Amino acid sequence: MNCFNFYNSMNRRSMLARSAAGFAQVGLAAMAGQAALQAGAASMNTVDRLPHFAASAKRVIFLFMWGGPSHVDLFDYKPRLNDFAGKAVTPEAFGGRQPPGGTILGSPFKYQQHGQSGVWISELFPNVAKHADRMCVIRSMHTDGSAHGEALLNLHTGNSNLVRPSVGAWVSYGLGGESENLPGFVTISPPRGHGGVQNYGSAFLPAVHQGTAIGSAETPIANARMANISNPKIDRSAQREQLDLIQALNQQHLRKSVADQGIEGLIASYELAYRMQSTVPQILSLADESPETLKLYGVDAQPTDNFARQCLLARKFAEKGVRYIQVSTDYTWDHHTRNNEGLVKECAQVDKPIAGLLTDLQQRGMLEDTLVVWGSEFGRTPTVENGDGRNHHPAAFTMWMAGGGVKGGLTYGSTDDFGFHPVENPMHMHDFHATLLYALGLDHKRLTFRHAGRDFRLTDIFGNVATELFEHRA
Amino acid sequence: MYSRTIFIFLVVSMDSIASAQENAASEKPEADGIAWFETHIRPLLVQRCYACHSLKAGKQEGGLLLDSPDAWTRGGDRGAAVVAGDPDASLLIRAVHYNDPDLLMPPTERLNDEDIAKFDAWVRMGAPAPATADANVIENPSDPIAGKSHWAFLRLTRPMVPAVQNQEWARSDIDRFVLAKLEAENLHPVADAAAIELVRRTSFQLVGLPPTETQIQQFQELPIPQAMERLVDELLASPQFGQRWGRHWLDLARYADSNGLDENFLFREAWRYRNWVIDAVNADLPFDRFLMEQLAGDLLPYETLDQRDRQRIAAGFLVVGPKVLLGVNPDRQRMDVADEQLESISRAVLAQTVGCARCHDHKFDPIPTADYYAMAGILTSTKVMEQRYMLGEQRVMERLAGLGEQGDQLNAAYETYWRERPGKNARMEKVKAVLEVLKQADETAIAAKLASDADGFAETAKDASQPKESRLAAQEALLKKLQDLLANPPQIPPRAMMPMDLETPVNETIRIAGKFDAPGETTQRGFLRVLYDDAITPLPDKQSGRIEFAQWLTDGSRRSGQLTARVQANRIWHHLLGRGLVRTVDNFGRTGETPSHPELLDYLASELIQDGWSFKKLIRRIVLSRTFALNSHYEPANSDKDPENIRLWRANRRRLDPESLRDSMLAAAGTLELAPMESTVAYLGDQATAVGSNPVRRKTDYNCRSVYLPVIRNDLPEIFEAFDFTNPHTTTGARPKTTVPTQGLFMLNDAMVMATAEITARRILSETASQPMETRIQRMFQLIVSDGANDNEQQAMLSYLQQTESRLQTAGDAEASLKALAMACHALFASSRFQYLE
Repeated sequence: MNCFNFYNSMNRRSMLARSAAGFAQVGLAAMAGQAALQAGAASMNTVDRLPHFAASAKRVIFLFMWGGPSHVDLFDYKPRLNDFAGKAVTPEAFGGRQPPGGTILGSPFKYQQHGQSGVWISELFPNVAKHADRMCVIRSMHTDGSAHGEALLNLHTGNSNLVRPSVGAWVSYGLGGESENLPGFVTISPPRGHGGVQNYGSAFLPAVHQGTAIGSAETPIANARMANISNPKIDRSAQREQLDLIQALNQQHLRKSVADQGIEGLIASYELAYRMQSTVPQILSLADESPETLKLYGVDAQPTDNFARQCLLARKFAEKGVRYIQVSTDYTWDHHTRNNEGLVKECAQVDKPIAGLLTDLQQRGMLEDTLVVWGSEFGRTPTVENGDGRNHHPAAFTMWMAGGGVKGGLTYGSTDDFGFHPVENPMHMHDFHATLLYALGLDHKRLTFRHAGRDFRLTDIFGNVATELFEHRA
Repeated sequence: MYSRTIFIFLVVSMDSIASAQENAASEKPEADGIAWFETHIRPLLVQRCYACHSLKAGKQEGGLLLDSPDAWTRGGDRGAAVVAGDPDASLLIRAVHYNDPDLLMPPTERLNDEDIAKFDAWVRMGAPAPATADANVIENPSDPIAGKSHWAFLRLTRPMVPAVQNQEWARSDIDRFVLAKLEAENLHPVADAAAIELVRRTSFQLVGLPPTETQIQQFQELPIPQAMERLVDELLASPQFGQRWGRHWLDLARYADSNGLDENFLFREAWRYRNWVIDAVNADLPFDRFLMEQLAGDLLPYETLDQRDRQRIAAGFLVVGPKVLLGVNPDRQRMDVADEQLESISRAVLAQTVGCARCHDHKFDPIPTADYYAMAGILTSTKVMEQRYMLGEQRVMERLAGLGEQGDQLNAAYETYWRERPGKNARMEKVKAVLEVLKQADETAIAAKLASDADGFAETAKDASQPKESRLAAQEALLKKLQDLLANPPQIPPRAMMPMDLETPVNETIRIAGKFDAPGETTQRGFLRVLYDDAITPLPDKQSGRIEFAQWLTDGSRRSGQLTARVQANRIWHHLLGRGLVRTVDNFGRTGETPSHPELLDYLASELIQDGWSFKKLIRRIVLSRTFALNSHYEPANSDKDPENIRLWRANRRRLDPESLRDSMLAAAGTLELAPMESTVAYLGDQATAVGSNPVRRKTDYNCRSVYLPVIRNDLPEIFEAFDFTNPHTTTGARPKTTVPTQGLFMLNDAMVMATAEITARRILSETASQPMETRIQRMFQLIVSDGANDNEQQAMLSYLQQTESRLQTAGDAEASLKALAMACHALFASSRFQYLE
């Protein structure tokens, strides 16, 4: 593909040197401009212009509910579930077709329509529901992988049996970061299991695009750090003196070597690392946030404190120019038993923080170009498991988006009367990825990278964009 | 104009004469003229004519192009090159016969008689060819017959060593190949590297460690060529050689201590395979044997138990790949596992992207889907998974086999114990309950219990005629026996990850669009047709065909083995010179790059085969060349013409890989232990990275060489993660080279780096007690960069040390000298001087 032709035509070492000096300008979009400057506009016919479309979003915040919450209890209202509670669905009730086996678990949760648009949301998300008119709820998601690991990898990388770049890495590769001092892709409290770092890795894309981890899922975010972001022994001024010595030695070496891009890159990367040591802790500290903001998210209150801090950090990273920010819950949504109790507990931890994030972004004028995504690796069965639980259900589930140019108050797609299968506008995970890239102005078919003799893309050979999710775009 | 000297290459294919005759006899030219053209004529055109007569080369000598029927019919300045059906009227025929002194083609060397006969026959047939024979326009890229003309699939040539103008410069034939190209482009090799640069470079490239002080001293006692010979022989013979070069193979073998992907279970036994690789490389096991044991070690005969076990361990190559373990259809898993193995083998050995042909014929390379499934059949006829009981349930896991005399029995007993343990546990609960009932001595209740839970009773306890005490004693004894059994699981026996053949091998069906449940036509097990020289020999009925696969891959008399030799020689060059002659080391297909020095590549590959596939001999040849010994200095005139140093006018400056980076810091501190390690993951649970809190994580605080550190997929040691270690999920011939700020953060702030710097400082202080600061600085540079500090470096260090020491003293620090020196050592570790090889 064209992207690679262009990539190859550049002096790769100067590109490396640049990525060492700062995170901005490493995406294809920025580099395409530079290549044009270097090579003259004539060469642009071999270069894909980026972004490929007018973008409605500049960045993404992905709120990942690890474990797979039940769609039928939260966003996909199925009143008939209670008619069949404790019984198998009959073929008559299933449009004459053979329904999947098993006994239905009813849902005790009350649904209500919210906002002017009337989006159905269960009582477990009272605060999120206040944003109904900003939300675009996709009820027809489906994916591959009935075990967590496989489904997590599909969600994050579009593939489970081969190592592929994460969605965030693709976005960083396509657009670069907006900040010199911060990476393009940050993941807050990522899972260690079920693929672990592979879920935010860059695979064959340049390493600068891999997700920078802040903490990990099982650690309270208040204790989380970015690896090696501060020195346990040497204070700031002493470290500057030490760094001056390092750079003096490097400059010596560089002078002797005349023009060595590798050494130049090394010198630049140390300066950037040093600057990150002040920018990153500033973001991780919530000291400058007003009491109103802290309260809005539910910081310092239980049970919301942990997820509230994560969401607030996501806003801070977004504000500073990070392109793709993922926030993950711990592995808490896997309700094989006591589904209802579990949902009450988990929703209470995330509802207010998520609503707070949407409000905060709105108030700061950031929601219009920040795509907020809520979702999980799969949904859960309408049928019962272990008496009061639900099993994994990749065949149908719900994700929702808000901001970033999506139509608010839209309910997209539907499932059958029980939530077993998509009926209307099914959206496979590949379609979802294609649509997410579209919001950012990236064509999933043209965002490619040449590796091992072929061009790879996030959606492999699949993916359809659901353009109808977006407000009119020029 | 071409310099006459470079293009003299004599084709002496090893058995081309015999095979051409066989082929000519076995195929009927008239049956498929185009196929005949593709097999016999196009390779000759590509190899012998296109350099001067093709659009691709951009050369049209004598106005003649030979890359399409139109072009050769039209001909050049002298007229039609080919007149179909009329050899006498065809100038091409006249030229290749070398009868007309004004028309001798190819100009460098007459074709052999067989090839001339092929041209005659072809023209007589009517010169059949596809409408566009142009090598650039490939009508059916996956056609394995047409694909034979791709450069990588051609027979090895034995190129004549070119003549060079500067006779003094070259130390070996390798140098003459390099110099001829330099001279042709008016490039000039830079001066030789300084002795100290060369000894450091050589030591890192061969053993991954800085040179010892003795080595440096001895090196300086002799003239460079002799000093190099002594050093290189010493390094090749040292056990540290395998610790570095074994790691190069482990990158290709996607070696890891855990599964990765969806469920990151520990590979508790993988270390044995790692150590087998290191030992095999140290022993210079010939590459054909090295590969045979890894692909088929479990099938090979053996004379001793020890040999059997080594071969079993070697075959772990097939088992150590990552696999999706949960929630996957067993048939799909079987195809996925075979795919992973096939992709790894074909990429590592042949530099081919065979995996692309799983769902459709290869889009670029001559690999039809049928060939993919022909090879996949070999691997699906091989079992690498088995049912085992782990973490509370029966699972499909990697296959293990026992080692040692009692190995198989111990392994079976161990697996049986865990399989039966849940049943034993349930029985123990029953035994406990029965004991309580017996204590009550209520015969009705006992009888009821006996009726429901007879297996919860000791024999004597069942007998109502026995005294209560005896019954209780018997029951208690049974309980204790069960409790002991449960409390004392057998030790994990020594085991290897080992494949085995299915009882009946299967010929796979093509899967439509790669879907495991969409079978198409059946394909006989076999190999890549583009690399077949003669008729296909069916694989054995009773075995998977892995032995034959390995033989085919390394048969130096066939094009398959010759491609393997090219690929492996290129890998060796890549590691030693910093870049392959083919830069895309894992892709010799049409989308890969072509060799910068094709004659040199063929020369090296031929030497590799002739040396009995000895890696050490080839490494020695290359390292002793003058090309290897150049300095890395910038030279503007050369750089203007060849900025990327494709022609090798200087050495490539290279950054230390993470293993060398860590090992040489420990070496400076004097704490590095060179001894081999066994498992470094034995303390981990069955989940290498658990979901949720994970109190036992992989450790890195060993003083061993980095090759022995745990390679947990998705949880690599931090220094590996930061400094471009291989991704252990996939075959990697060339690690990425990045310069990113996480590396800077690591060097500035990592606790291990600082601790090592402090130990180094203590060492310096104790060795230079009461010596002036300048002496300490010189010692620091010797330990860390194997060289003295120059004046500027010395000055920068000195003022830093003075300033820092006095600041610390003022602050009342009792260890001011030590701490200042530790920070200085830390700074030198972080410097480019340490992290780069000249």
